[in-house]
Amino acid sequence: MRDNKRVVITGMGVICATGGSVEEFLVSLKEGRQGIREITLFDCSGYSSQVAAQIEGYDPLDFFDRRELRRLSRVDQFVLIAAREAFADAGLKNTIDHGERSGVCLGAGAGGMLSAETYHHQLLEGKRPRPSFLLPFVPSYATDRLAERYRLQGPRTTVTTACSSSATSIAYGAELIRWGEADVMACGGGEALSELTFGGFCSLQVMDSFPCRPFDAQRKGLSLGEGAAVLILEEKEKARRKGAAIYGELLGYALGGEAFHITAPEETGREEARIMSEALQDAGVTPGEIDYVNAHGTGTILNDQVETLAIKEVWGEDAHEIPVSSTKSMIGHCLGAAGGLEAVASLLAMRHHFIPPTAGFERGDEICDLDYVPQAREDETAIVLSNSFAFGGNCTTLIFGKGDL
Amino acid sequence: MGAVVITGVGVISPVGTGKDDFWKGLIGGRDGVGEITAFETAPFRSKKGALVKGFHPKAFIPPLKIRRLDRASQFAIAAARMALEDAGLSLGEGVAPERTGIVIGSGFCGVVNSEAFHRGQVLRGPGDLNPILFPNTVPNAAASHASIELGIKGPNSTVVQSFCTAEAAFCFACRQLMAHKADAIITGGVDELSAILYRGWNELRMTAHDRGEGERSAPYDLQRNGFIPGEGAGIMVIERQEDALRRKARIYAQILGYAQTGGAAQPGKRVAHAISGALQRGGVKTVDFIDGAGNSSPRLDAVEVEGLRLAFANRYRDIPVSSIKSMIGEGIASGGMRIAADLLIMEHGMIPPTINYEYPDPLCGLRVVREGLKAPVRTILHTGISLDGTYMAILLGRTDGIS
Repeated sequence: MRDNKRVVITGMGVICATGGSVEEFLVSLKEGRQGIREITLFDCSGYSSQVAAQIEGYDPLDFFDRRELRRLSRVDQFVLIAAREAFADAGLKNTIDHGERSGVCLGAGAGGMLSAETYHHQLLEGKRPRPSFLLPFVPSYATDRLAERYRLQGPRTTVTTACSSSATSIAYGAELIRWGEADVMACGGGEALSELTFGGFCSLQVMDSFPCRPFDAQRKGLSLGEGAAVLILEEKEKARRKGAAIYGELLGYALGGEAFHITAPEETGREEARIMSEALQDAGVTPGEIDYVNAHGTGTILNDQVETLAIKEVWGEDAHEIPVSSTKSMIGHCLGAAGGLEAVASLLAMRHHFIPPTAGFERGDEICDLDYVPQAREDETAIVLSNSFAFGGNCTTLIFGKGDL
Repeated sequence: MGAVVITGVGVISPVGTGKDDFWKGLIGGRDGVGEITAFETAPFRSKKGALVKGFHPKAFIPPLKIRRLDRASQFAIAAARMALEDAGLSLGEGVAPERTGIVIGSGFCGVVNSEAFHRGQVLRGPGDLNPILFPNTVPNAAASHASIELGIKGPNSTVVQSFCTAEAAFCFACRQLMAHKADAIITGGVDELSAILYRGWNELRMTAHDRGEGERSAPYDLQRNGFIPGEGAGIMVIERQEDALRRKARIYAQILGYAQTGGAAQPGKRVAHAISGALQRGGVKTVDFIDGAGNSSPRLDAVEVEGLRLAFANRYRDIPVSSIKSMIGEGIASGGMRIAADLLIMEHGMIPPTINYEYPDPLCGLRVVREGLKAPVRTILHTGISLDGTYMAILLGRTDGIS
């Protein structure tokens, strides 16, 4: 049953620091525009960094009315904005016609933390905060809001593996379609900046006080970001029959655990290499067939080193031939939305024949000596591998192909 | 769906730790609910919770590591160890670490650390933050610590889906197994009840409170007025049937089918669709027992009954139903402990009671089991209901004659 079905992406929607639509996001990727600036969302003057890829000039009232906003935290808003674009892009106004054949699987990071922080802050000040601040705190809240808006009556699941959440949501959404549990799945995820997450990464001393510089010798850590990406997954034959415009196909994936440390990656890169190899095998492609590696590339000293070692282990001598870039250099590390945004970047690279850059990359070091693509370049990209690695050693690798579309 | 079987179980619950003690508690109608003393409940309308008592992490985790782990992670490690041992599986011998997965349903694990970390930020400012806390604020900390402690390197994920959190994880795990992404997967649910979470449930007016009948978890009872927040872990080992048979494992049950539906409108109908879907996939028209999701909240229990009525027509009055949430309370991942109970019910041929069922709700009209009941149970329908719009039905069956 599973083997007969393949899964394609027929719609995408995005909001992040460098773009409020897929079109804007595409332009920013080609230009290598960096969206990392001073944070205005909350006071972070006492922290080791004051920058992040915050979505600026955003007025929720442009998208929602006041009554709706009482029930929607910042991340839920982002998810719904991305979903609107994705459903329209896929030619699905709402999916009531599909009923129980359409579902949703999203990844979540801190979820409604920003809203819960407001509650908790007021509580600690001895005030009586509004209980509805707590509603969005369950990480499946955005999933339910999306399902409600598009009347999805099929399966619902929320993945909460921190930085790999939304990559995994795409993998699981595809499984549900391949097993015939749904014909349409909305996947991806959202993230809103929050003080807890910001302070948390500062406390671990992995935050760059400048905009992050993945793979660069001068890199000092990551920059956080926020946003959402929603991708519409459909069964390939059904999508073809109705003449849907297809961005690409999920050729394969692997989910794995490093079983090593709660924050640090296994330092030889052996485990990450294993998971990339499993994904390649699942997709039925050889390392040589990969045209572009969309790296996890957070900008921390350890991550970029280990990921590079892992790439070298998988590609061997050819590692220097393959373009590797981190779009986090532009949109920051969007945690629960990261894998989804990177999937969109990967699919755009294939459709528009280019390699997104690692913005700000100047020179590598002894270990980080691959082709990190400092400027976007035109190139035929038919197969892309995208990595998402998370706290707890949760690793997800997705492989997308343009295929015979 | 006939390919997946359950071969191991590990439980930490408010009525007992370990499957034997858990079972004794359930069948004896042991009430796991009590006045909370672990934290201050004075500001709240509710005072009771279903907390895990007498859990000794030292039996499962090296002493130096214990204090660095929150309760949720301790529960996850301990229950996963028990389940693996029960399944007779040893990583690196019976099954390769890379071929062993872990998929845990965990709603609010990490919240206790989030609260502590954020309290530090608010009260002490950015200069004095505890770096140990932050990595443990993520919901996947429990599954990740378990994977590190047990050396599990296969598919690793954490799932949350409101009150169907453990069921959603279970389905995720089944698909990974059927897709041959692993040969054995540890799956189930973990909940930790913390002061901040208790506050949240109270603030949202979802909990049981005393209106003259006492503060009780009373599923399907006319006087029910909310759920009792609970905690614990119910973890299973699942394998493909052919692998389990090959290694001559003891098979508790086969997953005959499951179905999930969504939508907040007409929830009874959606529940019925999930149930019919699971029955159809399992090729059965009725079951020997219904493991109800009823958690003592007025609306949820009524929705479940409507779903059962629509799915089974009049037959629903004849099928014994029980909700162990009367004893273990409600976490949002208590489905893990319930699946563990399902396996033991089939093994022992006995159905545990729904305690506190005193005044039958005429609208319910269910055959609720009030006293432990001896009955051969070959098939169980396990329901999962979240009024946010997620409904699950899992059909489990004994496999005697196969193994």
